[in-house]
Amino acid sequence: MNLFVTLLRRETTALFVSPIAWAVIAVFLLLMGYTFTMNLFIAKTASLTHIFFQAAALLVLIVPILTMRQFAEERRGGTLELLLTAPVPEHAVVLAKFGAAWIVTLVMIGLTGVYAIVLGIWGTPDWGPVYAGYVGLVALSAALVSLGVMVSALTSNQIVAAMVTLGLFTLMWMVDTLATLLPAGIDNVLIGVSLLAHVTPFATGALYTSDFGFFIVLTLAGLFFATRALGRR
Amino acid sequence: MSFPEAGAPAAPAFSLPAPVVQARGLVKWYGRRKAVDRVSFDVMPGEVVGLLGPNGSGKSTILRMLTGYLAPTDGIATIDGCDVLTDSLEARRRVGYVPEDVPLYPQMRVHEFLAFMARLRGVAAPGVAQAVDDVVDRLRLGSVRALTISKLSRGFRQRVAIAQALLGEPKLVILDEPTNGLDPRQIIELRGVIRGIAERHAVLVTSHILAEIERTAQRALILLDGRLLGQYVIGSGEPLEDVFLRMTEAEGPGAA
Repeated sequence: MNLFVTLLRRETTALFVSPIAWAVIAVFLLLMGYTFTMNLFIAKTASLTHIFFQAAALLVLIVPILTMRQFAEERRGGTLELLLTAPVPEHAVVLAKFGAAWIVTLVMIGLTGVYAIVLGIWGTPDWGPVYAGYVGLVALSAALVSLGVMVSALTSNQIVAAMVTLGLFTLMWMVDTLATLLPAGIDNVLIGVSLLAHVTPFATGALYTSDFGFFIVLTLAGLFFATRALGRR
Repeated sequence: MSFPEAGAPAAPAFSLPAPVVQARGLVKWYGRRKAVDRVSFDVMPGEVVGLLGPNGSGKSTILRMLTGYLAPTDGIATIDGCDVLTDSLEARRRVGYVPEDVPLYPQMRVHEFLAFMARLRGVAAPGVAQAVDDVVDRLRLGSVRALTISKLSRGFRQRVAIAQALLGEPKLVILDEPTNGLDPRQIIELRGVIRGIAERHAVLVTSHILAEIERTAQRALILLDGRLLGQYVIGSGEPLEDVFLRMTEAEGPGAA
């Protein structure tokens, strides 16, 4: 546990020392703030449903930038060799990398809580969907960060890691649109792996264990394969 | 006074210390290329052993297998009795390793980096500061301990890398091409540092430079194309250069 905390502290510090985390948080909040303002003052709706959909879509675009360096940079700089020849189990390294990048995404998501507070002050929002939306974003971000860390563990090139992760996320986001072209049976499989299909219930205020399960399975699978990728030397 | 029972094995008159490193038949394939071919050797406590060979002879691959970074395709290696494959964490606890390109975290301060590595190497929290002070003193890093690593010269970076390898008092310290990129003064200083390390640890050092092995090691293991051609006790008569040429030329003209 102490070992994990030591690694997590270093990883989190490394992310916040680099300008990437700050740039990502700033751009995310800028775009979210723009949408919230338009939603509130032009559409005049006291709801965060649009905000949650946009936040989810932005996470799909932004998480690859956060996770691309996690292992790729260590591999390129040789520090991975230093880390993995110390008496440290691979899974502790993976969990620390995952934890650090997830903390950054949680900070981003947490800061959008200001919008909920503003809604609460100036209007009477239905709080159920607001809570559900945030739970959904937290679950989605865990799955995305885990998959991003997994891809980063497979390459020493940050750009390759970012592009492969982005491609994977985009495909998983919109794969359900392909379902309409496929025969019954197969279409359900594609809908079952679609990020959008599992985010939508959360964003609209519905909590299903199947959606939770989906994101938990993705998160665990990403961490498992990242650990396997590190062990494959 | 008691006597051993009849048939009991007689107690040895003296016992040799167990080797820190035991490598037996190490093999490593990279795809279709055999990088290391049935290499066996021992390193005894307090000994400085040099792995000598041209670039691509398998030196770094052997070190990486001993540190647990690479899994051998075949063969066994133990560090202080711990198998590097099946008891990897315990084996790694007994090794301090300085990779060839001296990889460090450039944004960290020297003392932060050393404290981080001390914790990773299992130094208990109350002892971390003392362990860092100890290696800072041993490697004479006092003047740079508060600086960020990115601001250090190559020589100081090398010392920081060695310092982290000494944390946790490993049985074996492995240095991969430690003189690479150093100026002559730094190389001379480093030789002194290696001699100092050898007072408390076994040392395995690689180089493709004959003079470096001759000056720092007590025994040289000569490698070519992944094979161990032989070993030579430094200072036992014939110059190392002659031994190296004889061994490598026996493998065919232009082999080295």
